[in-house]
Amino acid sequence: MLEANGLMVFYENMLALNNVSIKCEDKQIVGVFGANSAGKSTLMYTLSGIMEDIRKKEDMAGGERITVMGQILYLGRDITDLKPSKRAKAGIVLCPERRRIFPECNVIENLRIGAYLASPSQAKDTLEYVFMVYPALEKLEKRVGGFLSGGEQQMLAIGRALMAQPKLLLLDEPLLGLSPLIQSIMVKSTKEIRDEKGLSIIVTEQYARPVLPIVDYAFVLENGAAVLEGTRDELLNNPDVRSAYFGV
Amino acid sequence: MEILIYGTINSIALALMALGFALVYGISRVPNFAHGALYVITGFIAWSLLRTLFVLIRVRGMAISEIIASYAIGLAILEGLRWGGFKGSTYTLPVFIEGSINIGDIPVDLHRILVVGIGVAVVIFLWLFTHYTRIGLALRGMAQDERAALMLGIDSDVMAVVAMASGAMLAGLAGIVLLPLGNIVVEKGYDVLIQAIAVCIVGGLGSWMGAVLAAFLIGFAQILTVVYLGAHFQMVVALLAIILTLILRPSGLFGRQQGPYGWSICPDVLAGAGLSDPAQDGADCGNADPPFCNAKYVLAEGHLHRVHLCLAGREL
Repeated sequence: MLEANGLMVFYENMLALNNVSIKCEDKQIVGVFGANSAGKSTLMYTLSGIMEDIRKKEDMAGGERITVMGQILYLGRDITDLKPSKRAKAGIVLCPERRRIFPECNVIENLRIGAYLASPSQAKDTLEYVFMVYPALEKLEKRVGGFLSGGEQQMLAIGRALMAQPKLLLLDEPLLGLSPLIQSIMVKSTKEIRDEKGLSIIVTEQYARPVLPIVDYAFVLENGAAVLEGTRDELLNNPDVRSAYFGV
Repeated sequence: MEILIYGTINSIALALMALGFALVYGISRVPNFAHGALYVITGFIAWSLLRTLFVLIRVRGMAISEIIASYAIGLAILEGLRWGGFKGSTYTLPVFIEGSINIGDIPVDLHRILVVGIGVAVVIFLWLFTHYTRIGLALRGMAQDERAALMLGIDSDVMAVVAMASGAMLAGLAGIVLLPLGNIVVEKGYDVLIQAIAVCIVGGLGSWMGAVLAAFLIGFAQILTVVYLGAHFQMVVALLAIILTLILRPSGLFGRQQGPYGWSICPDVLAGAGLSDPAQDGADCGNADPPFCNAKYVLAEGHLHRVHLCLAGREL
């Protein structure tokens, strides 16, 4: 599905991603774990093309010099230089860290903005599907995005990303700031979405424990480098991982 | 009665002038100082549009460059027209419909009634457009969070072109509709620009509803001034409105630029952060967690914790 080889991202001379190679097979859920500033969000931005947009804007304004190296293959096609909107059209949709709900639009409008790339019938079907997965959202239809709680916003953010008809969904820290109860709902729904929609999902988290049960394969980032990878069971049985990321 | 009728007409004319400016600023944060010129130059709109778009899209996102570029384009167009010989007051457009009717016992010419109709139609059309069409919703999304819009496949450069083009079209429409009421003179361009900016500043930059409301405030204030103080004080009203707004409420009536009030520190986030147990209040970080916050680090109980500093929903 997606294969990134030797990704290097520099902010000026600071190395944010150091030779990271990750892979996501068809219909897999791939986890990327790491502490703050390990490079998780940079990786997500690079895969979704947002980094390309940031680089271009910084470049034009004479700001920070950002360098991206490496290669991203998606469905066998090189997308390294593709604009984010083109990548979204090809099916790579990012649900960003801290959700980035449109605060002045209500729930329905947020979802309809998400359906920019969808045909009317796709939009209608997906809307029904989102309300089925997150019934809480249907009751809040007319509520403005800025007045939703963190958990509701996260449901909306994932719903909005689904409206864009993704084939590969990138979830950047979907559990950030949520209570354990909501966390478990989000994790369960993520697996449901993968199973029912047949998507591939890459999910990042600081703490591996809540997400690990649904992950097929995982990478561990440290200081911008992928230091460890393996299947769920391999990671579970690795003593270093257990102490560092599960608090066991 | 006279004040009411002409106040309404004047207000809607102002709204027509200002909406294009508000639209462009709301979507792409480009204060389009070429707005007045676009109003005057409706006749050459196709040509000027292309030039404006090319340069303004190139500099989008670079605050000072936007202002200089759009201002320079505006100056170039207006002074170019003057240089081209469009001087004096010999250029007029014909009114659409001749004649006048009496409302009560006040005579109002039909063209002014038409202005009101078109103004109202434009406001309604804009509202429908931004709430129910795919492009309109995408524009609103981009105005609120450009990067989030990018993630959903909305091409922000294309949308900026759409916004700029619609803004220019609104300026042009305002020109076609309002110019028959007077002469076409180059100075009118500066006039319209100042009025449009005044309306947008009073209403709050980037807020369309604010622009409509402010148009009514300034519109009626102008007519009252004309009636009680004399016609030559009319222009002072717009400038005074800018100054008063900047002193009393710099963000305007419905502006999104908020002052440094409304700070809140909402306890985030890292499970077991010790600062506050998110599970305790039943749900999650909850309503205290606005859509955009920025993580800051604080030292508490000997550990490094992350808290979110939030400023009334805006990223810091």
